[in-house]
Amino acid sequence: MKPKVAIFSLTGCEGCSLAILELEDRLLDILDAVEVVNFREGMTERTWDIDIGFVDGAVSTPQDETEVRHIREHCTTLVAIGACACLGGLNTLKNHQPEEDYRRYVYGDRAEWFPTITARPISSVVKVDYELPGCPMIKEEFLRFVTHALAGRTFTLPDHAVCVECKKRGNLCLYEKGEICLGPMTRAGCDAICPTYGSKCEACRGILNEDVLKAAGINLREQYNVELDDVLADLQLFGAYQAKALP
Amino acid sequence: MLDRVISRDDLHALIDGLALQRRLIGPVVRKAPECRPPWRYFYQPVDRAEQLDLSFSYCVYSPKPFLFPPQETLFQFERVDGGFTARPQLADRPTALVGVHPCDLNAIQLLDHVFSAAPADRHYRARRDNTFIVGVDCARPCTDGVFCADLDSHEAHGGFDVMLYPLDGDAESAGTTPGRYGVVFGSRAGGEWVRYGRRGEVPTAADERTFDRYQRQKRTAFPHALKTPADELPQLLERSYDSLLWEATARRCYSCGSCNLVCPTCYCFDIKDQTTLGGDGGQRRRQWDGCQLRGFAQVAGGHNFRSRPAARLRHRIYRKAKWIRERTGLRGCVGCARCDRACTARINTVEIYNQLTEEV
Amino acid sequence: MTVLEAASPPAHAGDSTYIPLAGMVRRVTKLTALEQLFEIRLPNGRPLGHSPGQFVQVSIMGVGECPISIASSPTRPDSFDLCVRRVGEVTGFIHRLRPGDTVGIRGPLGHGFDVDELHGRDVLIVAGGLGLAPARSVIQYILDERPRFGQFHLLYGAREPAELLFRDDLTRWRQSPDVNFHLTVDRADEQWRGHTGVVTTLFHRLPRLDPDNTMVAIIGPPIMFKFVVLEVLARRIPQKNVFCSLERRMKCGVGKCGHCQANNVYVCTEGPVFRYGQLKALREALE
Repeated sequence: MKPKVAIFSLTGCEGCSLAILELEDRLLDILDAVEVVNFREGMTERTWDIDIGFVDGAVSTPQDETEVRHIREHCTTLVAIGACACLGGLNTLKNHQPEEDYRRYVYGDRAEWFPTITARPISSVVKVDYELPGCPMIKEEFLRFVTHALAGRTFTLPDHAVCVECKKRGNLCLYEKGEICLGPMTRAGCDAICPTYGSKCEACRGILNEDVLKAAGINLREQYNVELDDVLADLQLFGAYQAKALP
Repeated sequence: MLDRVISRDDLHALIDGLALQRRLIGPVVRKAPECRPPWRYFYQPVDRAEQLDLSFSYCVYSPKPFLFPPQETLFQFERVDGGFTARPQLADRPTALVGVHPCDLNAIQLLDHVFSAAPADRHYRARRDNTFIVGVDCARPCTDGVFCADLDSHEAHGGFDVMLYPLDGDAESAGTTPGRYGVVFGSRAGGEWVRYGRRGEVPTAADERTFDRYQRQKRTAFPHALKTPADELPQLLERSYDSLLWEATARRCYSCGSCNLVCPTCYCFDIKDQTTLGGDGGQRRRQWDGCQLRGFAQVAGGHNFRSRPAARLRHRIYRKAKWIRERTGLRGCVGCARCDRACTARINTVEIYNQLTEEV
Repeated sequence: MTVLEAASPPAHAGDSTYIPLAGMVRRVTKLTALEQLFEIRLPNGRPLGHSPGQFVQVSIMGVGECPISIASSPTRPDSFDLCVRRVGEVTGFIHRLRPGDTVGIRGPLGHGFDVDELHGRDVLIVAGGLGLAPARSVIQYILDERPRFGQFHLLYGAREPAELLFRDDLTRWRQSPDVNFHLTVDRADEQWRGHTGVVTTLFHRLPRLDPDNTMVAIIGPPIMFKFVVLEVLARRIPQKNVFCSLERRMKCGVGKCGHCQANNVYVCTEGPVFRYGQLKALREALE
């Protein structure tokens, strides 16, 4: 029997759901192997008998919270996809600002119509079985997840830093150009796409573990005359929620 | 003793001849859009000799990826009738690596040794047997921080088909392109390449004198950085197993594995399967691994034999300066300092050896 | 190394160093909640050609490979046994195999027990937990070639009765006049009538050991190893007569990939069986 798959979006740009559609020819193979039962971006009919549910977007409103609990109840396996669902993502930018301010400039005089809460990853609300982080989610990793799921294999994320993939690609290290790249601290799996095109890593796949932040605290001050707090500020783009939880 | 001397133009003609039969790889300055100054050299495929810069300083990466790629398929498999069939994938594309410095030649000798030891690794051997290597000597250290002279790997000891020595220009004045090279044959194929190409001349007495002078100048051109001679590093490390330095240095370590991945003598790998969506077919692939990565010594069930960064750092240094030397008689480290340059925490191997020397 | 060396080349001698042979699962026996025993036959019934203590890489195509010790003696060459504990992904897939299924086999690999050296001697085997699986290859060998050995003592400890492996063998060995066998569990349950305590508590049941003529094989978790070595050395057995088998993460199995390295030793080729004298220099092996 084909596994029943659903794709949901909370607060976010829904780019990760769209990334699934962008699999194009490989999407057809996936559709051969699974039955999609609920996908707002791609279909109108819906059911709630779900084996694997993919969720993108962060929990950023009271409705998100209700919705993700409802989704969890109906999915045997719940998978967070993308930086927003896994880390809070860009939505967490608002966490550093007074609520009054951001509500006013986002919603103007109708601010009170739109309730909002601290942006957070869905794992802070419900149990998440797997995470496929990244902004956007890495299509190849999604494909690898589906392949593993269909074969009954255990999916695991790479447990090493972006540097591994960056070096395998033969890139010139951005530190050699005087930039502070978050690659040494960030979970690999993106094939180092940003450094490959000359942009520093901004940790959209999350900080690898707390040890790397400890090392960063020493290295950045002693070797680069930069404070860890400045780098953590860089992290606020995607990983503020996670960084707060780390040491 | 030189086998030939050859002008730059004749050398280029020979290399262009090589490029007709082989994929040509050599040092080029990469000025791609993602790079900004300072420009760096990389080994890259090129079409013609004139695209190469044989008076390059150093390449960011060694030529290792062309002999032992970051990832490769070992075999393809298909599942049929409850069983499986497997087809090996061996790379046999003829390749020429032109412009390999002595440090990297020494490293290739180690890779050759490891992958040829019984049972030989046929995937490496297939690539290696189809690779023609032209070395080029360094008259001076390529950059600050290298310690190749401490390890006697500023000299080529083999691993090449032909070795080139820049006989004028380079030794005296930095940055100029040598007009003539002294040639030493390292293999029959190397000799045939030069002789049958009918390029170059038999060296005269004057050429040999120039070569002698070149070698004398080279001897003084390379500084030594290690306070413990390389031959004594195994004993130094033997005494330093419990030093606090490992723990202290490893506090800075990200365990990112960059030192392993840029190292010309690192050859550890992992093997993983990739399958089609339906799982009926796929490949068993190997990829570079590194002993500094956290999961390197972890067994199924979760136990990690080197869970602490300090134990992993010590492991790497011991391998480089002691264990590989003891096991193979070859250099586990060639002093190219790529690990030191790649380390964003600026963990420095020379500093480690010298600090240990002071401790004892 | 031994008289049992295979006449045929090892099972990885294909065009790739890494392509396994297709072994056929003949029988599957559930031993405990976590362990199953697989009897494997190579194509055309060719012998694996191993020596006791060696291992094979077992692969499930599309999932991966894992090292498993050989649990039967080369004196029974028609097939070989693998005792597989379900601890990770590959072993989980191996557990799904049923008789008639195919499984990839690469090996025999590693350095096993040098049985020539055991010939004519008294032998003491101390096995703990899953260590009984590789130990069984030596035990069967000695029992099959019994006249070539002196006294044969076997001590086996498991954490609890439910974890005891090879129960049929245990019964047979207990009744056999060919082996002086003692068994213990760390923690008894209500049905347990046997000895309770760690495996070193069985040493007082041994007769006097002849220090010059006794060879000792210790196969078990590292923690057990340390305590057993003390008991053995206390009985004046020379260090060169003490052997031990190590567990490591073995990937290539041919001394190249680096995963199994303990200090300066590649466990997959120089081990998994080591002399205590070699081993005590390996700090990582004893940690």
